[in-house]
Amino acid sequence: MLEINNLSVSYISEKNTVNALGPISMEIESGDIIAIIGPSGCGKSTLLHVLSGIIKEYGGQAILNGAKLDPKLHDIGFIPQNFGLLPWRNVEKNCLLSLKIKHKTINSELRERIDYIMNKLDINSLKGRYPEELSGGQKQRAAIARAFIMNTDLLLMDEPFSALDALTREEAQELFIDVWNQYKPTTVFVTHSIEEAIYIGKKIVILSHCPGSIVEIIDNPLFNTEDLRQNEEYLRLSSHIRTIIKKGWKI
Amino acid sequence: MKLKEKTRLFLQGFIMINVLWYLLAIIVDTRVLPTPIEVYLNLNNLYDSRLHIHILISLYRVIYGVGISLLLGVSTGLLMAYSKTWNKVLNPLVYFTYPVPKTALLPVAMLLFGLGDTSKVIVIVLILVFQVIIAVRDAVLNIPADTYNPIRSLGASRLQIFRYITLPAILPAMLTNLRLSIGTALSILFFAEGYGTQFGIGYYILDAWTRIDYIGMYTGIVSISLFGFVLFVLIDILEETVCKWKAWNK
Repeated sequence: MLEINNLSVSYISEKNTVNALGPISMEIESGDIIAIIGPSGCGKSTLLHVLSGIIKEYGGQAILNGAKLDPKLHDIGFIPQNFGLLPWRNVEKNCLLSLKIKHKTINSELRERIDYIMNKLDINSLKGRYPEELSGGQKQRAAIARAFIMNTDLLLMDEPFSALDALTREEAQELFIDVWNQYKPTTVFVTHSIEEAIYIGKKIVILSHCPGSIVEIIDNPLFNTEDLRQNEEYLRLSSHIRTIIKKGWKI
Repeated sequence: MKLKEKTRLFLQGFIMINVLWYLLAIIVDTRVLPTPIEVYLNLNNLYDSRLHIHILISLYRVIYGVGISLLLGVSTGLLMAYSKTWNKVLNPLVYFTYPVPKTALLPVAMLLFGLGDTSKVIVIVLILVFQVIIAVRDAVLNIPADTYNPIRSLGASRLQIFRYITLPAILPAMLTNLRLSIGTALSILFFAEGYGTQFGIGYYILDAWTRIDYIGMYTGIVSISLFGFVLFVLIDILEETVCKWKAWNK
């Protein structure tokens, strides 16, 4: 379980303290997948940076499985908007980097998992290629594989599908949900697409303008529904979210 | 670049420069500028004049000078990139000394460290080290901050971050710098070997010149050029091995 208590982030700009995020509080059950939706500049990415251990100075607490969040202690997977593949490592080496950093030896069980995930995401044939030689969709699949190969306590994604064209995006989302359902890592992802939030988020958290605070948390009844766009409930929910956003974002 | 393409490039360049040289020699028609054919025929006699020893000694000085410059320059550059305090302390020094023509310090180095190899290597180091420092520091500072994010979220140690991000990110810049450094070191050598030594390819050329042995002089020039070219090819090979990921390799 991930507990976020009064989390806030501020930074100093020209001798003024600017509050960038929060305070926000929420609890995320293990195996949940949370979509965070909010206007640009509301601190969505900042929140992910705190949860991924990149920002170390923040107010309040973030507790994962009973211990203070710490990237050295917990296994955290982070997929940034640009996918975060290192240009000087080929796909396979990029995927295995997390294991290397965590000093994990590849035994037969892990090998099986790696092969399964790479197969599932169809990147076996790309193993020897460098990120520069890949299309956006291929990079994305490699980034997802990297995150799932390590058995993450917490998976974080910053607008993971926004750099893809519409068709590739839909495929990537389907593929992602497919793999996610298999391992169900606790996941927090940031998006600005209502559709994506409804499709992938078990819960949808709506943030307000800067400094972002929680406007509403919606339990998404449509999570894991196939043929989402044909569902009547979908239209109702997305217009509901749209209304909240319009209200919330005016504050 | 493929090996075939490179060989073609080399041959093209080689033929072009020799044709130009040949035409110029015919037009000018003076003993001071012999045709390439005369010079190449003389290459047979090189073993007798122990040219290989001169080349080896020059090579030793280049490696020594470039090696020390890289060692000092890379460590200082990293220090300045990682520590704001050190950058503040050292930056004025680097900035101020960078444009000073350090070849002018050769007499000073010779007075202080004698006529031997030490003063020659010191001059090479003085000239190279500052450009290495600046190149390394700027290469590290130019790594986009978000490159580090995924590895930080894995809780990587400082050493791991250096090993997996900083080092590979600055390698291309460092190799470019090595290339420039070797080119520069060779030119400095030509000047530095004019004094206090009877060995080295620079000495060989200057000695042939004073003896009015123009064919010998050109043989030396051709050798130092080929020598520089071999070093360049070696760096190419090194670059292709350690920077496989670079697009220009494909």
